[in-house]
Amino acid sequence: MTPKDLLYAETHEWVRIAEEGGRKVATVGISDFAIQQLTDLVHMVLPKVGTQLKAGQEFGEVESVKAVSSLYSPVTGEIVAVNSDLPNKLESLGSDPYVGGWMIKVAISDESSLAKLMDAAAYERQCAAEG
Amino acid sequence: MRNLKSTTLLFELSQPGRRGASLPPCDVPAPEVSELIPAAARAGGPPPLPEVAEPEVIRHFTNLSTLNMSVDTHFYPLGSCTMKYNSKRNERMAALPGIADLHPLAPEETIQGLLALLYELQLMLGEIAGLPAVSLQPAAGAHGELTALMVAAAHFRHLGQARTKVLAPDSAHGTNPASAKMAGFDFVTVKSNASGFVDMDDLAAKLDDQIAVFMITNPSTLGLFDRQVSEIARIVHAKGGLIYLDGANMNAILGIARPGDFGADMMHYNPHKTFSGPHGGGGPGAGPICVTETLGAYLPTPVVEQRNGHYVLATNRPLSIGRVRSFFGNVGVLVRAYCYLRTHGPEGLKAVSENAVLNANYLMSRVKHILPVPHGERCMHEFVATAAPLKKNHGVTAMDLAKRLLDFGFHAPTVYFPLTVPEAMMIEPTETESKETMDAFAEALFRITEESPELLHDAPHSTLVSRPDEVQAARKPIMKWTAEVGPAS
Amino acid sequence: MPYFYNTPADQQAMLAAIGVSSIDELFAQVPAELRLGRPLDLPPALSELELAQHLGRLAAQNAHIGEKVCFLGGGAYDHFVPAVVDCVAGRGEFYTSYTPYQPEVAQGNLQVMFEYQTLICQLTGLDVSNASLYDGGSAAVEAVLLAMSVTGRQAKVVTLGSVHPQYREILETYFACLGAKLVTVPTPRGAADLAEVAAVVDGETACILVQHPNFFGCYEDVSALAKIAHDAGALLVQSFDPISLGLLKRPGDLGADVAVAEGQSLGTPLLYGGPYLGIMACREQFVRRMPGRIAGQTVDRRGRRCWVLTLQTREQHIRREKATSNICTNQGLFALRAAIYLAEMGPQGLAETAELCVRKAHYARERLTVGSRLSAAFDQPTFKEFVIRDSQGQVEELLAQGLDAGYLAGIPLGQWYPELADCFLVAVTEKRTKAEIDGLAEILAAKRESTAPRPHARLAKTMV
Repeated sequence: MTPKDLLYAETHEWVRIAEEGGRKVATVGISDFAIQQLTDLVHMVLPKVGTQLKAGQEFGEVESVKAVSSLYSPVTGEIVAVNSDLPNKLESLGSDPYVGGWMIKVAISDESSLAKLMDAAAYERQCAAEG
Repeated sequence: MRNLKSTTLLFELSQPGRRGASLPPCDVPAPEVSELIPAAARAGGPPPLPEVAEPEVIRHFTNLSTLNMSVDTHFYPLGSCTMKYNSKRNERMAALPGIADLHPLAPEETIQGLLALLYELQLMLGEIAGLPAVSLQPAAGAHGELTALMVAAAHFRHLGQARTKVLAPDSAHGTNPASAKMAGFDFVTVKSNASGFVDMDDLAAKLDDQIAVFMITNPSTLGLFDRQVSEIARIVHAKGGLIYLDGANMNAILGIARPGDFGADMMHYNPHKTFSGPHGGGGPGAGPICVTETLGAYLPTPVVEQRNGHYVLATNRPLSIGRVRSFFGNVGVLVRAYCYLRTHGPEGLKAVSENAVLNANYLMSRVKHILPVPHGERCMHEFVATAAPLKKNHGVTAMDLAKRLLDFGFHAPTVYFPLTVPEAMMIEPTETESKETMDAFAEALFRITEESPELLHDAPHSTLVSRPDEVQAARKPIMKWTAEVGPAS
Repeated sequence: MPYFYNTPADQQAMLAAIGVSSIDELFAQVPAELRLGRPLDLPPALSELELAQHLGRLAAQNAHIGEKVCFLGGGAYDHFVPAVVDCVAGRGEFYTSYTPYQPEVAQGNLQVMFEYQTLICQLTGLDVSNASLYDGGSAAVEAVLLAMSVTGRQAKVVTLGSVHPQYREILETYFACLGAKLVTVPTPRGAADLAEVAAVVDGETACILVQHPNFFGCYEDVSALAKIAHDAGALLVQSFDPISLGLLKRPGDLGADVAVAEGQSLGTPLLYGGPYLGIMACREQFVRRMPGRIAGQTVDRRGRRCWVLTLQTREQHIRREKATSNICTNQGLFALRAAIYLAEMGPQGLAETAELCVRKAHYARERLTVGSRLSAAFDQPTFKEFVIRDSQGQVEELLAQGLDAGYLAGIPLGQWYPELADCFLVAVTEKRTKAEIDGLAEILAAKRESTAPRPHARLAKTMV
């Protein structure tokens, strides 16, 4: 199931937008579809808090046994939190991609990139075409 | 007879006080080591190596050897790796004391025979390549690629041209982009077209005056000769770029066509493949490179030169990129290549390629009705088949076929490479296999495709171990034995 | 043709099955204008007997270490190779196999890799080892590249004049392409001056590359150098001599972050410089930036312990231009030789070998410097090599006289160090006997006066 309350990037990241402390913060992870496609994940590299990101910029990597995939930021802003425990419990990512599987939180500094993101229905159409 | 006890690790066999080697007593008057080595540098005791008796060393490693497939024991059609017969005469020649027991910094006049051999090898490799300037220094094919790209970089620096890009097709070996990066270039991928060749429109779109080198594997990783190669060379040269030929597939064109004649400016050989040096369980190789006369000025030093009947290691090359490894090169591998070339001669080398191509086409003709070959009606020395229809119709993957072939006593082909063919199986029989062996391999494939998918998913069944859990190995890597890791379950 | 099966009848049958009339037809995809169209200009084929006779003639022109007593070192050593090493490594199942792409039929090679990695960790005191690289020089370069990658400092590396000059030359070659700077601190007293090193190590420095025992055979203060490096946020890379670790503190115990070595000493013949064995070990946190193959332990579907290649996503076939290195093979056969050698030696054998080296080298150094003409170039303790200075500055003549008398007496150092043009490097392994050392001393140390140079015996320069 693709949660309806999230936005999605072409590169399979999901985004949850919320107000935190008077600013817009994007929580970012990767979709269930992406996790299935990557098969068993064995390693993940996440960035540090404070890193500045532009929409479309690489912020980390996930690895399966024989593939490496880059993670791309769907938004522009500064990283304010990182789920640093996630790389140690990759086996659980598949069963909980949208809550426990969050990777970074970004304080959005430029909202124009949000316009490029898809809603759940559009993203599901993309996945059907790829799958 | 296989002895399963061999899988006990050396460290588990260790017993305090056991030992293999015995050494002579010290025959010189000298102080104790405690007086000779500064206390700050001296260890309290030797490192915690295992303690085993010599018979155990022999039995342990000998039994381990029986757990390997090898060219000496099995058909090994591992595409792109050219697993041909490794002639025993070459092993004997390379082990001659007058060859094997030479110190790399010995004075030149004490190694004239070896230098004569290496000089002649340079000439022969240059002739086969159609590129006269040769460096024997690189340690492996990938190292040869890197060295050649450094040569190109030095050439453009000398010309005062700031060229930043290396281009190669999407079917290229992973070493191409990795070498480009190490040589300081940006890497740009060029698409393949529907026939598996370089997409000329995409190449044209990506060609500009920033190009330093276009890297091409020809015959390609699909086992096809790209007829466009001279046109590619023409347009790359017109932009001031150079052509690098990845010589991985030279086994198809020895004495038939020469890279220098079809537009290459630089190339490497894999003598452990093409010239039958054994692969050693994953090395050693060697990666000699051949370049044009002009680029020869930039080759690493030393190169062997002949002066008045005397052989010298020439270092006086002001434009040389310098040294890319210690000492001269992988001489042990080079000597085997020399022996191979002298054994075959010009007609024999051409016959190598003719029979390699004949065998590959024969095997392709036998299996392509069950394993379609998407690109090309004929192949060169290898072909890339696809298990995609089997996967679609029966749920059987290239990996399943590969694993089941092991049960039939055949090493598997290369699978899932090149990346441009789904469920790829890259099959290279080489010229040193018989029709009977290839027939038996084809028959095994036929039988396998009639077996139940469940049986295949669990293959191999006859080997000591079944499919290893690679996810566990990568997620929590155990890369050495420790007492805590414990014995076999 | 020697190794083909195909008879004319086989060829005809195969051509018929393919559906073509000639082998030439199979080559139709090679355009005619790109064909060679003439025989290759190569010497004619030789039978095995002729080849053996030809190679025998060539080999006879070389003075091997069975004919000339070898006191040459400089990164390649005449150590003893036990028979078990040749016996096992000569098995076709090892040397005619390849990289373990199919682990189920390569458990022998994979287990050897795993055992080799463990042995290297035990030897170096570091956490992880790869399954080997090309040779000591390329291992040193790869270690430096690893340090640059880990620290994110791409511009500067500090090394010492006492590091193998060829290793430094390779680094210069690589750095010319990468735009990085190699700062070499001179070592006029034979080993590093810590204050001089500290003065050039800064926040831009990726690592210090040190060799210990160094190229001159002297000891470096690796712990102090490690502290200098770590205080600046840099790594310490140590190039070591595997035999020395029978007696010396291990790189990991000295504070090295990455340790590399030429592994030739561990059971590999001299082979005129290659193929050899590049050893590399590092601390656990750097493993994902380590180049080369790594074997890992796992279980199969029946729960049986077994081995596979692991952490392959570091490598070029997956990561392509983002890979940690372009290396795809290891030196499997020589890692195997090293594993057999270390198993055969054990801790005691390695310690005894190291002890023989250091004591015999000490004796040789004393004997060679007993007269007034020759002296030790550095007033420092040394391990199995040392530098001799000829007060008359006639190194070439001296070494030529040694050669005439049956000794490969030493390596002239002027080719790398102009200030040491009057010096040569002597190596003494456990194989050298008292009689050989005394013999060398008689030839060299007995020379009080220079004899006229004899052109026919002049040493041509060895390679630079």
